[in-house]
Amino acid sequence: MSPGAGGAISAHGLGGAKDLPIPSELAIAGAVAALVISFTVLAVAWREPRYDAATSGRPAPAWLDRLVSSRALAVAARVLGMAFFLYVGAAAVFGKDSLTNPFLGTFYVLLWVGLVPASLLFGEFFKAVSPARTIAMLFARISGVPEGQGLYAYPARLGYWPAAAGLFAFVWLELVYPASTDLGPVRLWVAAYLGIMLIGSAVWGTTFLARADPFEVYSSLVAKLSVWGRREGRLVIRSPLANLDTLVARPGLVAVVGILFGSTAFDSFRESTPWLKLVQSMSASRVLPDTLALVCFSAGVALVLTLATMATGVTSETPRRALPDLFAHSVVPIIVGYIVAHYLTYFVEYGQLTIIQLSDPFTRGDDYLGTADLAVDYWLSTHPTFLAVTKVVAVALGHVVGVVAAHDRAIKLLPRRHQLTGQLPLLVAMVGFTVGGLYLLFAA
Amino acid sequence: MSGRGLARLAPLVLVLAGSLSACGDDADPATGSPAASESPSSSPSSSPSSSTSEDESGSEDTGDDTVTVEVTREGDTFTPNGERVEMAVGQTLVLQVTADEAGELHVHSTPEQDLAYEAGTSEHEITVDRPGVVEVESHDPDSIVLQLEVR
Repeated sequence: MSPGAGGAISAHGLGGAKDLPIPSELAIAGAVAALVISFTVLAVAWREPRYDAATSGRPAPAWLDRLVSSRALAVAARVLGMAFFLYVGAAAVFGKDSLTNPFLGTFYVLLWVGLVPASLLFGEFFKAVSPARTIAMLFARISGVPEGQGLYAYPARLGYWPAAAGLFAFVWLELVYPASTDLGPVRLWVAAYLGIMLIGSAVWGTTFLARADPFEVYSSLVAKLSVWGRREGRLVIRSPLANLDTLVARPGLVAVVGILFGSTAFDSFRESTPWLKLVQSMSASRVLPDTLALVCFSAGVALVLTLATMATGVTSETPRRALPDLFAHSVVPIIVGYIVAHYLTYFVEYGQLTIIQLSDPFTRGDDYLGTADLAVDYWLSTHPTFLAVTKVVAVALGHVVGVVAAHDRAIKLLPRRHQLTGQLPLLVAMVGFTVGGLYLLFAA
Repeated sequence: MSGRGLARLAPLVLVLAGSLSACGDDADPATGSPAASESPSSSPSSSPSSSTSEDESGSEDTGDDTVTVEVTREGDTFTPNGERVEMAVGQTLVLQVTADEAGELHVHSTPEQDLAYEAGTSEHEITVDRPGVVEVESHDPDSIVLQLEVR
């Protein structure tokens, strides 16, 4: 039978057993690898900037470009996204308030975790299927507004700050809020999210969605590590490193990165024995200490990144305070590596369970999709050594890509005599992020 | 991709990845996580918790012995308070629950197991058939009592 068949609502979050801690030997090996990689990149990598959004990338075959840019594919993606949204929405509104309701698994696992692999493979995946964007486009069409336009231009200085707020609201709901698996509050969260997105896009056009929709911003950020890019409207195939370099730095990017990395680290931390004992020995509920810890982790990552990128000599063209956002892209691969390590089993195993549950959205014994009788394959959690190695390799790989990206940006932006020394603080910070991530995988 | 610099890095990454996986193979049987080894001694409140430590050290030698852990509920307070307990896949964990009122413990393995206990002392058996960290928690009041490290 499926887990949670008793229908008990737990304060536990979704999913049953968690991964075992990774063995200390592996954690140390990963940490040493991160150090060695970092200084090797610094010593042997190129001295002239290599990545340039204006020239990088090979044009994709013409047929592929035609297919990807076609209206038919765009419409098909919107229709599928909307149909899926309505299907899961029906489960959310009419389904049973229990862990067997596929709405929860779809929201926390397929959407939040699944958008990472989907964006790595297909590029800006969520943008293409986003129900908020589809509804906004339909509204615009009905009211005769030209596509994508709002009443005002989106204020550039807001940048990604609204998305940072949205991401924080999501991770707080997922990781701190005690009733995170009750149907009502999650439904309310999604309704508020949709409302804000629709009002925002009416006022500021679809640019608002690209800057403020937490899922779209997250997905588009990860999509920069895919091979798909565009140059002058043409589809190009780039190396993930060259593609990452095309990420446009905007205000708030550091906050987005800080929340994505900090919240994942907090997720490991909150289940560690010392923290658990501490919050459970207090008389009050753990919401307040957990919220404080979540803020500290997110702000801590953002602060370390800010200080590390600003601690360098600068040229007159790039003001010092612009540096954190200009270097924030290099933390994205580290985040993705750590997310893979943190969520791999959860995604593979709870994702399967969600697909099974989706066939019976109202918990009545229906089998709409024909998946209701499938069984979850627990191969991954029965091979803990393979799992631990995969995690450490993912973290190390993310670290390599991040360090190379930061190096290229440094030789592009920093004055010649600061190009090596100016990178050092950021390099130390990145080693710190990676080693800290490994430590949490080992200790929590 | 991007030419010489990366090409020079590639062997390094491969070697590192290779050494990582090599480490991983022999790393697994050697357990001894620091969190688990401190768990039995660090519940100072109730007297019989010393029996826990004997049972646990016994469990490290033979895989199929049972592990016994005492759980005490006084009002809304549980002892132990989120300790880690190491056990093997398929091994039986006996929870000796002493409670001043009836309630339920949830074992968040997959599938979930629910243990209803009465006021007074009762024994409950748990087995987990896949490796992982499994939480044993009470939902009313909300409290994580144990984390089982199943290997």
